[in-house]
Amino acid sequence: MYTIQLFDVITTAGVLYIVALGLLLVYGVLKIINLAHGAFLALGSYAAVIATWLGWNPWSALVIALAVGIAVGAVAEWRVLRRLYVRPLDTILATWGLNIIIVQSITLYFGREIQFAESTITQAVNVGGVTYSLYRLVLLLVAVVLGTLVWLVMRRTQIGIVARAVIMNEELAEALGINTRLVRFVTFCLGAGLASLAGALITPLVSVHPNLGVPWLINAFMLVLVSGMSLGNLALAALILGGAQVLVSSYGNPVLGSLTIVILAVIILRFRTIPT
Amino acid sequence: MSAPVVARGLAVGGLEGGYGSSPVLHGVTFHIGPGEIFGVLGKNGMGKTTLLRTIMGLLPLRRGKIEMLGENVTGWPPYRITRLGVSYVPQEKSIFQDLSVDENLRLALREPSSFDERLVAVAGWFPFLATRRQQRAGTLSGGEQKMLLIARALLTRPHLVLIDEITEGLQPAVISQLQEILAEERRSRGTSIVLVEQNVQFALALADRYAVLKLGRIVETGSTIDTGAQKTIERHLVI
Repeated sequence: MYTIQLFDVITTAGVLYIVALGLLLVYGVLKIINLAHGAFLALGSYAAVIATWLGWNPWSALVIALAVGIAVGAVAEWRVLRRLYVRPLDTILATWGLNIIIVQSITLYFGREIQFAESTITQAVNVGGVTYSLYRLVLLLVAVVLGTLVWLVMRRTQIGIVARAVIMNEELAEALGINTRLVRFVTFCLGAGLASLAGALITPLVSVHPNLGVPWLINAFMLVLVSGMSLGNLALAALILGGAQVLVSSYGNPVLGSLTIVILAVIILRFRTIPT
Repeated sequence: MSAPVVARGLAVGGLEGGYGSSPVLHGVTFHIGPGEIFGVLGKNGMGKTTLLRTIMGLLPLRRGKIEMLGENVTGWPPYRITRLGVSYVPQEKSIFQDLSVDENLRLALREPSSFDERLVAVAGWFPFLATRRQQRAGTLSGGEQKMLLIARALLTRPHLVLIDEITEGLQPAVISQLQEILAEERRSRGTSIVLVEQNVQFALALADRYAVLKLGRIVETGSTIDTGAQKTIERHLVI
């Protein structure tokens, strides 16, 4: 029993990490909270639904989700957000508005009822003496691969150095010849694409409906705030807070479990000392 | 046929600008030729930094015209101005503290493949750059950070360099070294330099001409070889 819960803790952390990664990128580089992140998750999940409808290979949903997320993100950044970066509060309203537009568009086409998408992996495997979902273990692997990939890009490539420079001091980066507008555009597209990819990946674990992204957005938002723009801290926060969520849901109350990340994040933020 | 871009300097005409609704610059006009060093002197709060930031496109221009290296760059974003062949050395918050020395230098280059060759050149002036490439830039001493700034500015082999009070807080030996490096850069590559300074001796030793900025207006200009130039400038800095 404890082995299963241990797996649940670790794989839940993996899932949360995948969901929060795009939000962290956007928050870090653009300094805005993308409240449309949940809607991009929903877009990805519905990409999986469409792939099922069309009888396509379930893996193709991941590619579709990534492409749709990037495309919608590109239009949103190009037509709306880039005019608002100097007004950070307005970006919050704008991304929330974008969230409503995407969710309502999905509702118009698919309705409010729960949809079904075929899973890419349905088998269970025997690990450590227990039978466990292979899909959840694969998600953990995906989280590790995505996290490592993003870390390598940020630390070992010129693109990563540029992105980190923009995070630290955008004006100075611009004065060094870096097209920060392009950096923002690419980052937002990437963040939206990652969110949609995450949406397609979590589809087998959730009920697919237009508002499925909202609780994920709240948890991801809290994890990003707690992690302070660090990929390592995000993994740690997902493990500790996500683990607590699993344990509270298992031993306590599932409703309380769903609030665990928010409650713990608020406590951490209250008592965390900010380095000066 | 137009003259090669590298053979041109900087021309600023009727520049007006500032922060928000507060005007700081009032019709600033000057020009510098290719390979010329031009000193802009003035007390604190007279608009020297605002002038450089406005030229670089970091502050909005209300009125006036800026031409550099053969292009009318009025209204251009800073990254386009830099890519024209301009290096800007700001006075404050000028290095990325959490990036390594190596990363700080690489940021300035558009062609990463030329990095090693360029590094050899600037490490000739500042040997510590070659031996401490992986050190976090924020852990360098104040003087070393200034050297890193100059190295980053010259790494790109610019045609025009704008330098904002580089000597502030530096020891005399380091100032002398920077003076030699900038003079050599001009001599060997014909680089034009705008030198915003409060250190009159440093500016006069390097510059060909100077201007004194007072409350956002140029109140004095002259050649640095004129007898009495130092006294004229210092009179404005005291009053």
